[in-house]
Amino acid sequence: MTTDRPAWRIEVDGTACDGHGICMLCCPSRIGLDEWGYAIVSDEPITNDHILAQARRAVRACPANALRVSALRTSPAGTIRSVRRDA
Amino acid sequence: MTMSATSMQTPRSMELGTRVGTVGDPGTRLLAGPRSAEGAEDIDQHLSRLGPLGLADQSPAELRSVIAESGLQGRGGGQFPIASKLDLAARSAGTPLIVVNGSEGEPASRKDRTLLSLRPHLVLDGAMVAAASVGSREVVLYLHRSRADATGAVERAIAERFGDPAHVRVIDAPMRYVAGETRAVVSYLEGSGALPRKRSIPVAASGVAGRPTVVNNVETIAHLGLIARFGPAWFHEAGDARTPGSTLITIAGEVAWPLTVAEVVIPTTVGDALRSIDPTMRQPRAVLVGGYEGTWISGDVAMATPLSRGSLKACGASLGCGLIAVLGPGSCGLKTTARIVRWLAGESAGQCGPCVFGLPAIAEVLERVSDGTADRGDVRRLRLLTASVHGRGGCGHPTGVVGLVDSALDTFGPELGRHLRGRPCGIEASGFPLPLGAAP
Repeated sequence: MTTDRPAWRIEVDGTACDGHGICMLCCPSRIGLDEWGYAIVSDEPITNDHILAQARRAVRACPANALRVSALRTSPAGTIRSVRRDA
Repeated sequence: MTMSATSMQTPRSMELGTRVGTVGDPGTRLLAGPRSAEGAEDIDQHLSRLGPLGLADQSPAELRSVIAESGLQGRGGGQFPIASKLDLAARSAGTPLIVVNGSEGEPASRKDRTLLSLRPHLVLDGAMVAAASVGSREVVLYLHRSRADATGAVERAIAERFGDPAHVRVIDAPMRYVAGETRAVVSYLEGSGALPRKRSIPVAASGVAGRPTVVNNVETIAHLGLIARFGPAWFHEAGDARTPGSTLITIAGEVAWPLTVAEVVIPTTVGDALRSIDPTMRQPRAVLVGGYEGTWISGDVAMATPLSRGSLKACGASLGCGLIAVLGPGSCGLKTTARIVRWLAGESAGQCGPCVFGLPAIAEVLERVSDGTADRGDVRRLRLLTASVHGRGGCGHPTGVVGLVDSALDTFGPELGRHLRGRPCGIEASGFPLPLGAAP
């Protein structure tokens, strides 16, 4: 019950996003675009290494530097206790 | 509290005998004292009515614990406990800066400028309490100089005072809706535009030029002037456990005296608050609660709804800036909402795509709904647009606008059906003021 699985989340800075759309190509399972081309990120935690690698690629590829991947630490009950920044 | 009983100038006269009162009414707290026709209360009247503030005999930590015990929450919309901000500022590196936010960008709100105009010394007292509680010697009053009554009163009051622990500077705020947002205020005081920029740490820890910056609106600060005198137990004699103290609201829209500021004690109902200024009032079609980015509540439900956090939340609403705006029985909520949304779309800070593109798109569809030229497909698109904009962007502006639109679609269902059949009612409510918008 107490296994703390590492989990990650993508965050977008709405004031920086310019709607280039490259992120969606890098990480289609967690990033979509609205009808004007701006990134919509899913807040579903990432626990899969493959998707995490895609998310990090999206962060690196963003020309506006608008994305970030943050580590979520989950409590045994599954609620988020703290957020650590990364990438 | 170290305040002696003799220097407590008749706190009994400040007990809230009634649940609602306007300026000068017995039973009010912030609005107690001379009636509004007498203008600003000067320093002699203020001190003879309330007695001295008596900050000198209390340490910053003692003051913060008094404020914490009072449970005072921000009255600007966020309802955040002010003690948490002060504690964070006191713990953080650098000399804290106290900002009294009097920009009151909500077009139909009047409470903050009313306090500045009529009770400037109470506001300044509160600013001194906040400053002394964190060892700050600098207070910024962020307000609109073009509002001459408020600015004049507060500048005369500053000149009348002596012996204050902090220096007060008046800064002219830009006339924009988002300019009152805390991060926008800090950004402006740092010398850039009044835009809600992304910040990774709270401004109370690191704000203007890295200094801990405590930003609170005028009403919140004014309460401190009374809490420091009469203590937390007195403060708790009014209000409920979740919102202690009295609360200022502005009553606007289709009422006998629009833009009236009243002091209420939660959990008074919307109906009691409205009847206090207009006893003959008929049941409204709907009431907009919390500001222009607030929530429409159907009139029959609203009149019986207490202004407590829990009751409003059950209606999907929050007290926000304290606006209660009435839509009369013959007026069109869709048309009124369309006009407000078009104005709010123009007030975007222009930083984020979903706000820049989404809000005008929403305004456009809503205007066609209001004109009677939209169909069911347009309403579906409107719902998709609001869902797509919700929760996005760098500040609460776009989410606030879509909250208003969704509550309008929910509340004005019968009208919506008539509009979609090409029969718009076309009657816009009066008393919902909109300033000339800044160019987008």
